[in-house]
Amino acid sequence: MRGSSRAPAAPRAPSPRVMTPAVAAERAAGLRRAVGALMARSKKSIPHYYLSTTLDLRAALAWMEQVNAGRPVAERLVPAALLLKACALAARAVPEVNGFYTDGAFRPSAAVHLGVAVSLRQGGLVAPAIHDADTLSLDVLMAQLRDLVGRARAGRLARAEMADPTITVTNLGDLGVESVFGVIYPPQVALVGLGRVVEQPWAHNGLLGVRPAVTATLSADHRVSDGLRGSRFLAQVEELLQAPEEL
Amino acid sequence: MNEQDARAAVYAAIGQVAPDVDTDDLDENARLRQDLELDSLDFLRLIETIAQATGVDTPARDYPRVATVKGLVGYVQAHG
Repeated sequence: MRGSSRAPAAPRAPSPRVMTPAVAAERAAGLRRAVGALMARSKKSIPHYYLSTTLDLRAALAWMEQVNAGRPVAERLVPAALLLKACALAARAVPEVNGFYTDGAFRPSAAVHLGVAVSLRQGGLVAPAIHDADTLSLDVLMAQLRDLVGRARAGRLARAEMADPTITVTNLGDLGVESVFGVIYPPQVALVGLGRVVEQPWAHNGLLGVRPAVTATLSADHRVSDGLRGSRFLAQVEELLQAPEEL
Repeated sequence: MNEQDARAAVYAAIGQVAPDVDTDDLDENARLRQDLELDSLDFLRLIETIAQATGVDTPARDYPRVATVKGLVGYVQAHG
């Protein structure tokens, strides 16, 4: 699917130019127009449905802290890396959320190219792909995430990276909100929204405890799937996060 | 390390990770995430840049102590 002619008309990667304030403002305005046009097309053509669930992150974060404790900064993981890997594996397991809807038909993708929505500091948003994210080890995925976000913010993305995600994840929660219900990037058919990691009271086996948790949402295309399959996707993500060492 | 050197290292790192932040006019009570809008990857790059410049490694368990500019300057000063 990579580099295919069916690839969506994603907003173009900002070009690496000398970043005077005027150039930055022009670039931000151009990106805003591109995002606006794409999202308008999405809302006009895709019958979205929305699901939400709370993911228990106790096992995942305890494991991550243990791993990070023995590592230099450059090799540490962030929660987003674990969440992205779980989403990629779940997308492989539930093919109705992974692929493109074009010419009146859904074409599932065998590969999972995970789009990661990256907000740019000067304004605007791009969503380049981590290719074959379901097959990458956590450390490789983490390294690619850092590289991708760094290059996105520096305006140095390759066109192929912009064009071919098969499903996109937005991790807006990193900076604050508890949940985000996103707009699907056409011709993709699903978008996953991850909120902020919060400590929540959690009832389990009749006992009340406190656990780190995150709200995960799924916006999906009713022409391709329904709530039952969508629920399956979110349930898979939750299940995968309970065994983080296997991610 | 003295406070001035610690501050210089922290400001230089902020300038690299978030070039739009005006470090000449920085409120040291600013929180890195909420006020300077550094996400988790920016934060990682920030402490990595500081580690390269000063040798001060911030273990993950100390992240809550370096949540503000002031906290970070103090941490680098104490450990550098």
